[in-house]
Amino acid sequence: MTAVLQLGSAVEHGGGRAEAVGDFAEFVRVSMPGLLRYGHALTGNPHDSADLVQTVLEKVGSRWVAVQRKGDDPLAYVRRAMANAHISIWRRRRRENLVADIPDSGAVAPELSRLENEPLWQALRSLPPRQRAVIVLRYYENLSEAEIAHALGISCGTVKSQSSKAMASLRTRLGKD
Amino acid sequence: MDDLDDDLRRLFSDDRLDVHSTSVSTELVVRGAARRRHRRAAVAGTFALVAVVGAGIGVSRFEMPAPDSTVGALLTTAVSVTTTPPPPPSTSTVISTATVTVGQPPNSNGGNTGKPDPGGTSRSSSKTSTPPTPESQPGRYGTLSLGMSEADALATGSLVEPSSPADPDNRCKAYATKSVPDANAVIVSPARGIVRITMPNYAKTPKNVGAGSQVSEVKAAYTNSIQSGSSVTAQISASPPWSYIFETDGAVVTTVFMRLNANDCATV
Repeated sequence: MTAVLQLGSAVEHGGGRAEAVGDFAEFVRVSMPGLLRYGHALTGNPHDSADLVQTVLEKVGSRWVAVQRKGDDPLAYVRRAMANAHISIWRRRRRENLVADIPDSGAVAPELSRLENEPLWQALRSLPPRQRAVIVLRYYENLSEAEIAHALGISCGTVKSQSSKAMASLRTRLGKD
Repeated sequence: MDDLDDDLRRLFSDDRLDVHSTSVSTELVVRGAARRRHRRAAVAGTFALVAVVGAGIGVSRFEMPAPDSTVGALLTTAVSVTTTPPPPPSTSTVISTATVTVGQPPNSNGGNTGKPDPGGTSRSSSKTSTPPTPESQPGRYGTLSLGMSEADALATGSLVEPSSPADPDNRCKAYATKSVPDANAVIVSPARGIVRITMPNYAKTPKNVGAGSQVSEVKAAYTNSIQSGSSVTAQISASPPWSYIFETDGAVVTTVFMRLNANDCATV
């Protein structure tokens, strides 16, 4: 109860609120291109990337003061939040998406699918999101196994197994093509 | 074998990954963040108000009989102590309050007259002992505790909705919390309630270890702890029994979970 009251009072006294909002806007402006690109790597699709970036930034921005007070690099924090949000979103949506083939994969406008002809990109699409997140954190973010484990809230052993499963399935996919 | 590593690095550094999207603007995000904050503040404010009113009602209900009895006790002891100078009753009550707050049982025994006295003193002592109880020992962090039902946990307002399924069968649910933004911060089983709580990275256990502590410090603090792989598990005897799980990177603790021993969620 006291925690809630403190939270309420923290919300109430908005001393540096305007300053924090300006600071957050600046952060968004600067980090947006990088985050969209990172989201593209995570989701495999520019539209989902935009959705993911917007959702996560709104969440982070709504508690920006607290995020900054934690002392972590806010950009790293946002990226971790994106990886986790992507996995959660996929968990919620996968029932709708369970189809054997992506129906309109051939009809995507060419300027939106400039990566579509890349076999590795297609192979990545087949990975479950957690495996994909592990791969992206490892090869895009260059994080160590321990850092990935911390970012995704899973154990090092899970990171290793997810990573090796992902690499094996990428290899078989690419081997087939 | 290493080709795939190289290919992945090359793919992820490809310019084609750039998203030239104007659909997400800074203003949109800032507005959305403000909207979320206001909504949360409104909810928190309402909840705080309800909590304050509830606490007020609770206090008035429980405390109502108490003042009468303590007043009675004070008056009786006052009379017993000040039998020789009867004229000034006001000063005598002041003396008696002093004796009661100091809380010396021998005095009241010596006085003999105040039979409600022990009740009064024990009540005050129990009141002072409850607040400093460490929050983490009985499977509890902040307002959340292990085994708490989903409805009760939601009622605390500490969980951030929406939830997401935490295991392949969609039985257990995962929530982010106000203090931990990770989507899997709290795992709730339909049968056992909260089965896992992730502690914020600034939090320490009552033995003063947390994220950033050395593994050796954890083992020194929890001598019964067992290391398996990169995580260290320390059993806590309570009912229901639970454990601290210290996820480490080999040397330093990265995350601390509180986990119910009897949990039935596959991924926990």
